[in-house]
Amino acid sequence: MEVRINNQTVQAAEGSTILQACRMAGIHVPTLCYLKDVSQNASCGVCVVEVKGARSLLRSCITKVAEGMEIFTDSSRAMEARKINVELLLANHPQECLICDRNGNCELQQLTFTLGISSRRFDRTRKERYVKDDSSLSLVRDPEKCILCGRCVAVCSDMQQVKAIDFTGRGLKTRISTFLDEGLGFVACTNCGQCALVCPTGAITEKSAVGDVRKALQDPGKVVLVQTAPAVRVGIGEAMGMPYGSLVTGQMVAGLRRLGFSKVFDTDFAADLTIVEEGNELLRRINNGGILPMITSCSPGWIKFIEHFYPEQLGHLSTCKSPQQMFGAVAKTYYAEKTGIDPRKIVVVSVMPCTAKKYEARRPEMVGAFQYWKNKMNLSEEERFFDVDYALTTRELARMFRESGIEFTQLPEEEYDNPLGESSGAGVIFGSTGGVMEAALRTAYELYTGKPPEDIDFYAVRGLDGIREADINLNGTIIKVAVAHTLKNAAILLDQIRDGTSPYTFIEVMTCPGGCLGGGGQPIPTNAEIREKRAASIYLEDKHKTNRKSHKNPEILSLYEEFLMEPLGEKSHHLLHTYYVERG
Amino acid sequence: METLINTPLAGEILDEIIEKHRGKPGMLLTTLEEAQEKNPLKYLPGETLVEVSGKLNIPYTQVYSVATFYSYFNLTPQGKHTVVVCRGTACHTKGSKGLLDDVTALLGIRRDVDGADSSFTTSDNLFTVRTVACFGQCAQSPVVEVDGVIHSNVNAQKLLKIMSRIKNGKTEKK
Repeated sequence: MEVRINNQTVQAAEGSTILQACRMAGIHVPTLCYLKDVSQNASCGVCVVEVKGARSLLRSCITKVAEGMEIFTDSSRAMEARKINVELLLANHPQECLICDRNGNCELQQLTFTLGISSRRFDRTRKERYVKDDSSLSLVRDPEKCILCGRCVAVCSDMQQVKAIDFTGRGLKTRISTFLDEGLGFVACTNCGQCALVCPTGAITEKSAVGDVRKALQDPGKVVLVQTAPAVRVGIGEAMGMPYGSLVTGQMVAGLRRLGFSKVFDTDFAADLTIVEEGNELLRRINNGGILPMITSCSPGWIKFIEHFYPEQLGHLSTCKSPQQMFGAVAKTYYAEKTGIDPRKIVVVSVMPCTAKKYEARRPEMVGAFQYWKNKMNLSEEERFFDVDYALTTRELARMFRESGIEFTQLPEEEYDNPLGESSGAGVIFGSTGGVMEAALRTAYELYTGKPPEDIDFYAVRGLDGIREADINLNGTIIKVAVAHTLKNAAILLDQIRDGTSPYTFIEVMTCPGGCLGGGGQPIPTNAEIREKRAASIYLEDKHKTNRKSHKNPEILSLYEEFLMEPLGEKSHHLLHTYYVERG
Repeated sequence: METLINTPLAGEILDEIIEKHRGKPGMLLTTLEEAQEKNPLKYLPGETLVEVSGKLNIPYTQVYSVATFYSYFNLTPQGKHTVVVCRGTACHTKGSKGLLDDVTALLGIRRDVDGADSSFTTSDNLFTVRTVACFGQCAQSPVVEVDGVIHSNVNAQKLLKIMSRIKNGKTEKK
């Protein structure tokens, strides 16, 4: 249909909003609470426009266009209202931009600048000072900085079906909080961090481990190893000012060396290890009548979700630890033994696209290496150490690069260290939804049938649809597999299992949209278009690998030969597998 | 003076309330309302919210969101007697601020002038003093509600009389 925007005649799709019509026509209307695919609760009033004949200004994010509508986005009335609405938000927003985690990457700050607001017109109206909620191991909430846009509530309830946070109170006392204000660490929060990813201000951020990591790096008595998750290599470049989805594996490795890490290893190596263990576990379950469908266990947000909301289905989870935890356990046993380094001196730092990894690293059962050494070295309980000491998000690593003055784009490409740095293409695609499934299929197919799959690219499980399924022909035996990302979609598959209607043998679940590449620790912004670009880079890296199967990774083969002996063996059981907790 | 003790609603009473409202439109509101009414201290303790959430299969945060949205719901124990002072515009111009000061002083409640709280309960749980934005009785301002009875054209003397009547154990006539 035809509408007029700022005196230009433009075409608008039937049923589209004024905002969509403006964007289609290349006319910029500022927004704040609106976030495509996430929320449009029209709470901020920043996107108001003037429409001829309408008594009041209209919120363009929720108002549909009508034939012949005359819209003005830059009338003085609309611009003045927009400005006042932001000025009112600023009344209660702390003026701490210089020392805020989101300084330079804050939508409110940007909007204040764009709208030309140069003074603080309104005094603070809220009497109460809110305290920070740092009860979570993964996230920190600072309600003082919250502008009540509702994006976090929308992702938590609509995308993740977790509902850990909601609006509480009313009027001036409205704020986002948890049940009984107990704090994120005490409620059923999965630590996925999608709330932090969509927050326009610094009201929700990851709990930073940068200080601890710096301290360890400066300690001459420590050997600090770093591992990088598959999705970090397609995200970190963005945070350093490069185009969305830039594939920067080599520069990232070089940058980490410059930061002072003793060895730069790859979580992809541990992903290959996960696949060998998980592939064998799947076959064992199929052959021995074990619990099926088996569901992947790499995504710690997902683990906490099923522990809280579907505890009766924990038997479906693979007992494999996630790659992060497998890496930690192997680094402090196999690598320590091989190099003769005292495992107590080893500090394992992981760089993850994820906030839930911080929680996972602190799960009390994640002390496989300590248990391994306890008797051998006669260690006391006080010397207990975690397999993974610190987990950084992609954003935190970017901060460290900046602080250290590393010119990221100028860095040469460097290779990972050995022996925990070699990975197959299968390890790389762990970073995308469908990747663990595809990697597992590449290995399981060969283990089951004794011959390599005809086509190594299992395209059916790729893509960004919420739930995807495929039939896999294993020498005449057809198994059905499914892939889900976001917890809402995972819940659909769990409900099928509960109702006895699940047709699947193997299911992959990732907590975040797009998989780890859309994780809660990734650079801001992260949206559908950006996720697609990151996914393309992930599959590109896979394609260019000479070895694309986990069980052919030479370092994995040596690890089994020299140390683990066999998949699902005694050592694997203690170091690479775990158990889950019914949380209810 | 007798001191009341915090008591969550007994399980069977709450179960009965929940079953009564289950499946009806607005069941959360009506359940919470009745649960508060039946509570000896006229409030919704955390335990009750947990029960309601679990049994009606409504997320914890949603229950909490509703319970904190409506000023009708109390999340802290209420006194045996409730005094509500209207702080609407009409009552304000007729001196309701003074009445609020008087009644809190009389009951020995320390009230932070800049505080955000609008509800105060004496430590012995005998009196709760609250404010409302408007009773809709502006023609008879200033108004004060005591145990459900609205008193109009209240002044300091009148308020003092009402309060001493209650302190002497007389109930308000509805």
